[in-house]
Amino acid sequence: MATQAPRPRVGTPSVPKAVPGNTNSIAAQYARAKALKDAQEKGGLDRNGRVKSPLVRLNEWKAARFGREWVWGWGFFGWLFFIHITGLYFFTRGFLLTRLVLEEKSLCAEPPVTLSASYKGLGDPENGCWHPKTFDKAIVLIIDALRYDFTVPFEASGEDPAQAYHNALPFLWETAIREPQNAFLLPFIADPPTSTLQRLKGLTTGTLPTFIDIGSNFAGTAIEEDNLLMQMRDAGKRIVHLGDDTWTALFPGYFEGNISRAYDSFNVWDLHSVDNGVNQHIFPLLGERRKDEWDVMVAHYLGVDHAGHRYGPNHPAMTGKLQQMDGVLRDVVRALDDDTLLVVMGDHGMDAKGDHGGESDDEVQAALWMYSKKGVFGRTQPSFVTPPLHAKERPVDQIDLVPTLALLLGLPIPFNNLGKPIEEAFAGKKGNAWENLANVVRTTAAGIKRYQAAYFAARGIDESTIDGSPRALWTLAENTLAGNGKQQMWQDAYRTFSEYQEKNLKVCRDLWARFDVPSMCLGIVILAAGVVSLMLFANCNTDDNTAIVDAPELDRTELQLEIDEFAKGNPPTVTEETTSRSLVRGALIGSLLGVAAGPTVWIATGGGTLLDFGLALTSVSGLIGVLYQEMRRRMAFGNPFPTSFWGWLAVIFTVSQSIGFASNSYTIWEDSITLFFISTFGIATAASSLRLEKKSEMTLGVYHSLVFVALGWAASFSKLCREEQMPYCRSTYYASANSSTSAPWQLIIPFVVAIVLPSIIKSYYTSSRNYEGLAPLWIGWAFRAGLFMSAVFWTLDAADDGEWFPNLGKNTLKSLRVPMAQTVFAMALGAGSVAFGWADPCVSITTEAVPNAASYTDGPSATLTVLGYANTHGTRYFLLVINLLLCILMVQKPMGGGAISLMTWQIFSLLEILDLNSLTTSPIGPVLLALLGSFHFFKTGHQASLASIQWESAFIPLHTIKYPWSPLLVALNSFGAQILAAAAVPLVVLWKQKPQKKGILKSVLRALAWHVAYYAVVGLATTMWAGWLRRHLMLYRIFSPKFMTAALVLLVVDIVGLVVSLVGVRWNTWKVGETFGWG
Amino acid sequence: MSTLSPSSQATPTKPSLPIDLLPIDLARLVSQAHPALLLAAYYIRFPVLVADPVSTLLQTLLPVAAIQVVYAVICLPAVGSNAKPALVKKAKLNASKKGAEPSQVTGKAFTAIFSLLLSLLTTLPLFALQILFGAPVTSHLPHTALSSAHISLLALFPLFYVHGTSASKWREIVSIYSPIDEVFGGSLGALLGAWLGAVPIPLDWDRAWQAWPITVVTGAYIGYGVGKMVGGWLLRGKRVEFE
Repeated sequence: MATQAPRPRVGTPSVPKAVPGNTNSIAAQYARAKALKDAQEKGGLDRNGRVKSPLVRLNEWKAARFGREWVWGWGFFGWLFFIHITGLYFFTRGFLLTRLVLEEKSLCAEPPVTLSASYKGLGDPENGCWHPKTFDKAIVLIIDALRYDFTVPFEASGEDPAQAYHNALPFLWETAIREPQNAFLLPFIADPPTSTLQRLKGLTTGTLPTFIDIGSNFAGTAIEEDNLLMQMRDAGKRIVHLGDDTWTALFPGYFEGNISRAYDSFNVWDLHSVDNGVNQHIFPLLGERRKDEWDVMVAHYLGVDHAGHRYGPNHPAMTGKLQQMDGVLRDVVRALDDDTLLVVMGDHGMDAKGDHGGESDDEVQAALWMYSKKGVFGRTQPSFVTPPLHAKERPVDQIDLVPTLALLLGLPIPFNNLGKPIEEAFAGKKGNAWENLANVVRTTAAGIKRYQAAYFAARGIDESTIDGSPRALWTLAENTLAGNGKQQMWQDAYRTFSEYQEKNLKVCRDLWARFDVPSMCLGIVILAAGVVSLMLFANCNTDDNTAIVDAPELDRTELQLEIDEFAKGNPPTVTEETTSRSLVRGALIGSLLGVAAGPTVWIATGGGTLLDFGLALTSVSGLIGVLYQEMRRRMAFGNPFPTSFWGWLAVIFTVSQSIGFASNSYTIWEDSITLFFISTFGIATAASSLRLEKKSEMTLGVYHSLVFVALGWAASFSKLCREEQMPYCRSTYYASANSSTSAPWQLIIPFVVAIVLPSIIKSYYTSSRNYEGLAPLWIGWAFRAGLFMSAVFWTLDAADDGEWFPNLGKNTLKSLRVPMAQTVFAMALGAGSVAFGWADPCVSITTEAVPNAASYTDGPSATLTVLGYANTHGTRYFLLVINLLLCILMVQKPMGGGAISLMTWQIFSLLEILDLNSLTTSPIGPVLLALLGSFHFFKTGHQASLASIQWESAFIPLHTIKYPWSPLLVALNSFGAQILAAAAVPLVVLWKQKPQKKGILKSVLRALAWHVAYYAVVGLATTMWAGWLRRHLMLYRIFSPKFMTAALVLLVVDIVGLVVSLVGVRWNTWKVGETFGWG
Repeated sequence: MSTLSPSSQATPTKPSLPIDLLPIDLARLVSQAHPALLLAAYYIRFPVLVADPVSTLLQTLLPVAAIQVVYAVICLPAVGSNAKPALVKKAKLNASKKGAEPSQVTGKAFTAIFSLLLSLLTTLPLFALQILFGAPVTSHLPHTALSSAHISLLALFPLFYVHGTSASKWREIVSIYSPIDEVFGGSLGALLGAWLGAVPIPLDWDRAWQAWPITVVTGAYIGYGVGKMVGGWLLRGKRVEFE
């Protein structure tokens, strides 16, 4: 609707000069039009400079005041970010498992217990340290993510058809049955987290991984503890390494330099480079001429894992990869000599989509196959010759490999080992070598006992205070051995020592789940106080004068009054004034006082690390400072409860969900619950819109409400189910439940988005006559072009995945599409930021010479019409959101792109609903945006679990891992919905806002505070529940991932609020103020 | 449109009044017994409902409709009859004479049947609403439809019987601005109850009654009973304010 701008206020110079060289800028047009109008006005204002000069000064004064207030507001959110970081830091430090790393090493000459007399010549590496050496050489061949069921034969039936991964690698099973003395195959259970780095640590040290290490997967850190490779090196064995470069990160300097080959492990798009590289080097080294160059070989294949990540297990690429591995193993066995032990294993499994990291059955169940031509393996029962059909039968732990390998190679067992020797490897050909079994288990158990003693001593814990201490079992086992050398006695001793080991392992698992409760509490207290400060901040900055009188007459009179007062030296009452300044001051003063008192407190409390102490002190004293300031300001608390239905709705949505996260069911079904809330809101606003008096407003209100609900419902069809949701959920995000590629029909989505989404945005711009200025160019052309490029990108990507063009070279498609993605990013971030920075408001200005006497009583002779005047702020700010939107859409898979587009549309209808129902000052708007962010997080193919992270998004615009871009891209992919929502928060205030609106900053800060409050409350709640339920069975499957997701989202939203929303609002207000003058 | 002052909440020009029960003792008695009867019947049928939701919901549809019709005819002023106070007085006179005019009886019967038809019709929007709130789309469609029918009988049938199809009145009802009385309170209670009924569904308690749509229907029945009592007594005459 064309809007009659209020008559230009007073005097001409309230507008700045046009940008030099751009005479057509809106500012210039506005200035010219104004000058024209002023010239036509007869009863004009006096132009002697006395009046207009205060106006200019008033404008400058207002601009400066805005800048100052903005800095304080930004400071408040910056401080809040700091509080969130410290709170989460302290909680995490106490919550994540910690384990003391002991320095001790096992020595060949110092067995942990007197060795059996029946062994001769032990104690030197030539004959074997603690057990007679069985093999001189070993090949450890790791097929990354080799799940146990990949190796088990599968008989397809009508209702249970064979998957792509079935029967493709039959060699292991065949040999175990055909040559039981040469080979055995067993399920090989990993300790979570199931990421390669953590697994390699466990597989070489024999100890349990700690949770905090998982973050270092991207970098890799050297292992300092005693481990198998260290023992090999000390025994003078030459180790050669081929494949995954995680090994070189963990064991720098261990490998023979000239013959080892390490390959980049994180390029999951590449199925073949690593494997081909390993194959190229492994076979020459196995040959007669070169097999004396090494003693131990570590070969790590990555193709199966990458095929899983990229396509999921049920894909022809997986069949191909497994068949290739089958061939490789046959060739390796053919080239093997009698003195070499071959160990083939998976370091972890993969879930139904081919990802891993968590602790679901599919992720922890790997396969282990050992082979030698010597014929030394046996089974204690004849039925054990057939390998287990399921991974639940006769599984061995992955740490069991450590003592097994060490003893077979005649090495001392690493000091930290908690595993036990694998029965099949020591049972003898006939499976009755009970004496040998008892001896190896006893030696291992003694090592564990020695380690336990050292650990408890280092930790300062009395071992006997530990519940269920297995000491009694040790004595029992020793007593059993004291009998005479009968077969039965050895068998019993073997059983008891095994039991001792198992008990010990259990104790260690519990012990290393020993939480630092005070630190966790400190974290929770800091987070809780942060939430309180945030609520106070949001509550204190509510508008007192919500009744907005919109009369140009009044505005003009008011402005005139302001100018008069200002000329007299009385600045106008400060509507922009927020409480940020006093709060930030409170924080600073509090922190300073805290730091000043620091040394005393530190001495008094006995200290800790300086960093921890400093952080705790600064945040706690800062929080006290803020709360004190608030108290002083108000002395008495007002009604802390919401006063309207909408306020209550916001509280109910936030709090009920937060409480629900204490239950695993509500955490699992979070996506359905957010949909339920979103629909509830839409239905409530539809009802509320029916109360609107004007028929047109009523219709629009109901229409937008229904659109809002329908879009959310439509988006809910994009699903990526987590394991716990089965069987009540069917994934639609990818082509099938066992895949991580898009179905061909899904490729249409990005093209539809490119055609439709800009038009939808246009329709919302045109409804307020704002499709002017830069908007048509940027939305209609640039944005659309970017979307088309992104659509082509995903088509090329699918072409690559599906190998539609087998004739093209391997990297042709990749080298085609990567530059496209880079162009889109350059356009969105580079050109887009410049466009947002310099664009004039999306309005157009016309001057009519015919007076429109009806609207103005004093009958001006010219009317200045500004098309889109009423939505100047919102439509200009949205240009920034579009840039971000383009980036987010670029990194989402086709289905996710569709979901994000629906979300964008929902944001628009939400803005209209809020405007029509006068809800722009209510907390419901920002909270609903947060709900939309949470909802579409699930709709873009994510879940609160490690396995759902779409790591491959790091490679969309890149060929290799590059810091810091790769983690940033993964974050943009994972939290795209929340990022978009946070960037859209200022629109709640700015949408349908005319230029000289007063108190905009205050409203934006308040909206952002409500928005962040949603995430802060959820973050606090999930933190509390994770801490409270720390012994819960589902901690690592459900509560811990949810806590980590919520914590990350909170920090991401904080950053987006600081860097995008607030900076965008500052820039936007500045530009609008420059053009139209300040309110 | 944007320069217009942000619209204020409308206050209807003619404020509507809460519904009064028919001024006879029987009406008051039946009105009290009605929710108790409904809930007791529901409680008795509950095990069967859990065992076989679809056929139970289908079979109970007619008895519930009958209970609702009897309640409406005995207790509530049919649409049009309460337009003039005189008519009410007349009805009172008639009732005291224990002989209603035949034309009025047929009128009531006609209103009841017409309202039943309308409730059947509005099952469809309720069905759509449940789907929008996340009810399964690819399965359980009869379940959803039947639960909508029950909610419609509880929440909407009395409203149709009392208010007919007046557009302005229905705008007031749908925007939840109608003054609360026994009828409107019951409707709000039933809808709110159905909304809250979704809460236990995701819990992993593995109980048979967690199956769709048992909790929602249960919530609607309990909510109807509570809402009817509270609406007719505690909150009578109040309006729901959003602001």
